[in-house]
Amino acid sequence: MGDSKQSRTFDAIVIGSGMSGGWAAKEFCEKGLKTLVLERGRNVVQPKDFTTTNMMPWEFKHRGEIPYKIREANPVVSRCYAFREDAQQYFVKDTEHPYIQDKPFDWIRGYQVGGKSIMWARQTQRWSDFDFEGPARDGYAVDWPIRYRDLAPWYSYVEKFAGISGNKDGLPNLPDGEFLPPLELTCVENYFKDFVSKNYKDRNVIYGRCAHLTQPKQIHFEQGRSQCQNRNLCQRGCPFGGYFNSNSTTIPWAEKTGNMVLRPFSVVHSIIYDDQKGKAVGVHVIDTNTKESIEYYAPVIFVNAGAYNTNLILLNSKSKRFPNGLGNDNGILGKYAAFHNYRGHIYAKYDGFKDTTTKGGRRPTSAYMPRFRNLYKQETGFLRGYALTFGAERSSYNDTSGFGDNLKNNLLEKATLGPWSIGSQMMGETIPKETNSLSLDTEKKDDWGVPLLRINISYDDNDEKMIKDFSEQMTEMYSKAGFTDIQTIDSKQAPGLDIHHMGGVRMGKDPKTSLLNKWHQFHNCPNVFVSDGACMTSTSTQNPSLTFMAMTARAANYAIEQLKKREL
Amino acid sequence: MDRRSSIKTLIILSAGTTLLPSCLHEEKKPSVTVKNFKISGNDEELVSAVSDTIIPQGKTPGAKDIGAYQFALMMIDDCYAPDMQQKFIKGLKEFDDFSKKTINKSFVKAVTAERNEVLKAIESKKNIPGNATLFYNNIKGLTLEAFTQSKYYLTNVQVYELVPGKFYGCVPVKKAS
Repeated sequence: MGDSKQSRTFDAIVIGSGMSGGWAAKEFCEKGLKTLVLERGRNVVQPKDFTTTNMMPWEFKHRGEIPYKIREANPVVSRCYAFREDAQQYFVKDTEHPYIQDKPFDWIRGYQVGGKSIMWARQTQRWSDFDFEGPARDGYAVDWPIRYRDLAPWYSYVEKFAGISGNKDGLPNLPDGEFLPPLELTCVENYFKDFVSKNYKDRNVIYGRCAHLTQPKQIHFEQGRSQCQNRNLCQRGCPFGGYFNSNSTTIPWAEKTGNMVLRPFSVVHSIIYDDQKGKAVGVHVIDTNTKESIEYYAPVIFVNAGAYNTNLILLNSKSKRFPNGLGNDNGILGKYAAFHNYRGHIYAKYDGFKDTTTKGGRRPTSAYMPRFRNLYKQETGFLRGYALTFGAERSSYNDTSGFGDNLKNNLLEKATLGPWSIGSQMMGETIPKETNSLSLDTEKKDDWGVPLLRINISYDDNDEKMIKDFSEQMTEMYSKAGFTDIQTIDSKQAPGLDIHHMGGVRMGKDPKTSLLNKWHQFHNCPNVFVSDGACMTSTSTQNPSLTFMAMTARAANYAIEQLKKREL
Repeated sequence: MDRRSSIKTLIILSAGTTLLPSCLHEEKKPSVTVKNFKISGNDEELVSAVSDTIIPQGKTPGAKDIGAYQFALMMIDDCYAPDMQQKFIKGLKEFDDFSKKTINKSFVKAVTAERNEVLKAIESKKNIPGNATLFYNNIKGLTLEAFTQSKYYLTNVQVYELVPGKFYGCVPVKKAS
């Protein structure tokens, strides 16, 4: 890259290369726009940089465990289930990128090309109008400026490309998508599915919907991907491209057009707003290795830095026109942040189906129960609802009692099948509140001169009531279904460990109460778009990544149209 | 080799020869390196002996063949909290004291039948010093992990499939095997 202003000018700039940024890159490059993709971390090229992907269990020095000193120095990331020896290289360590917790918040991050799309849990469900209309109905948060019909074709668009497996269930509260065949349910999951549909007319258990190529199509082969092999080692990156991540799909697709310039090690300090032109003109980047300050220019800028880093960049983008952060006339930038309530768990056993079990691969999903609370009317003492996972399988074991020849002989025997173990986890909607907020620290800065983010987010009474309802409802369903040894657990985990960080730059119809319009543009700075988790007005109960992908593809294609019409 | 480094080598060599005789009076040095707690060569022998007694050698590989005790010490060194490391070391001494009380000799010097007698007593959990049990449980857990996660075990006994392929959700147990 040369040094002239011209060589630093592009048709579009995308900040971030993860779940949503990859989609913006793909759409722009495919449609012929010279696109600069900025990534603050290193490049991760598949398959060569998925360095642990083919390692056997015994090849990990600590058999997966993270050493004590690393855990002690990095308590936040150490609480993440996927921060293990095989995937630790993809997670940000607390010590590398500090932030300030006004209240406990586990900010789990992945700074590399692909972002968290390498280690995500890959569950993908569409939103319905029950979700989009939640705020309008109960008055908490503002009305979404879009409805399901706006997003539906874009869900289809991204599903076909990404490859989503699932079953057409015909549920109004969880619209069907463009599905590859679903992954099978286990015997007890099928039993519970039948039990629930017979006993609860408002509830359903369905096949998990996930971003796995159960039966790849031509478009997936063109991406160089092949069928999911049920290794369930996805957090390492997949040598088959069996699940969706940016590194195997959107980024190489964008690259292949010849229109993408990918710049790793580039942290965005701020967006440059030109007071005379009355619009954003580019971004101010710091090279994380050389600490050199560089400006890049483009007529359209997509901010997909990961929800709370997107907030950070925008809050730090100060100009004469926007002294409190880009687009922040109403003072709500960084406010109304939200997440998912993952605290409720339930476990049980089932003393039946002893003559059946599972066989073959390690399934990368489970069964799923869509939200059933407060769908058609407000019927509980809390707002909104929760979805949940449902998994049942048999583990096998060897007798490990004693020592010596007896123990050894037992270990060398064929493993014995245990009883069916059952478990569910809730995914509850949280209500975005003004007090759940993100801000810049006024003194502390990171190594690149960017202020540290302060996170002030907590649970509220609504969340507590929802956990109680989850425990009660699940205990009732589990008991009636004949499950035994039922145990409910409140993990008490801090917000953030759900890794569904959302809000702070919410969409809405009214510029007084929202920041982005229905096309993800700032109401008052329309050539800057936000389509990662930061744009979320409410959170509903679905795993959000699929929605971020669909929103980004929709927004990027709108931006392209507007550029063609010279409206941006 | 340049002059500076050859002199350095000479010094190290001579230091080694002069120090060696006095070392003979002290405890043997361990063959493994632990960084976060102190262990002697005798301690190492005890850990090895306990681990080998838990999963003995025979016609098929045992703990010794798959390097179980080295793995155990490495895990305690790298993954245990400092207070657990100290309890482990305390437990090691208590374990050997218990061995001396039970069979009148150090565990390392005992024959298999005697070693088994000690472990049986420990497993009975009757009047055992707390740290001795903890020491034994640590070594047993880590020996089991080393063994069942070893290349030998995962390629010969419970075969680990890196690429298992199709998942069948509901099959008769008979067909699953």
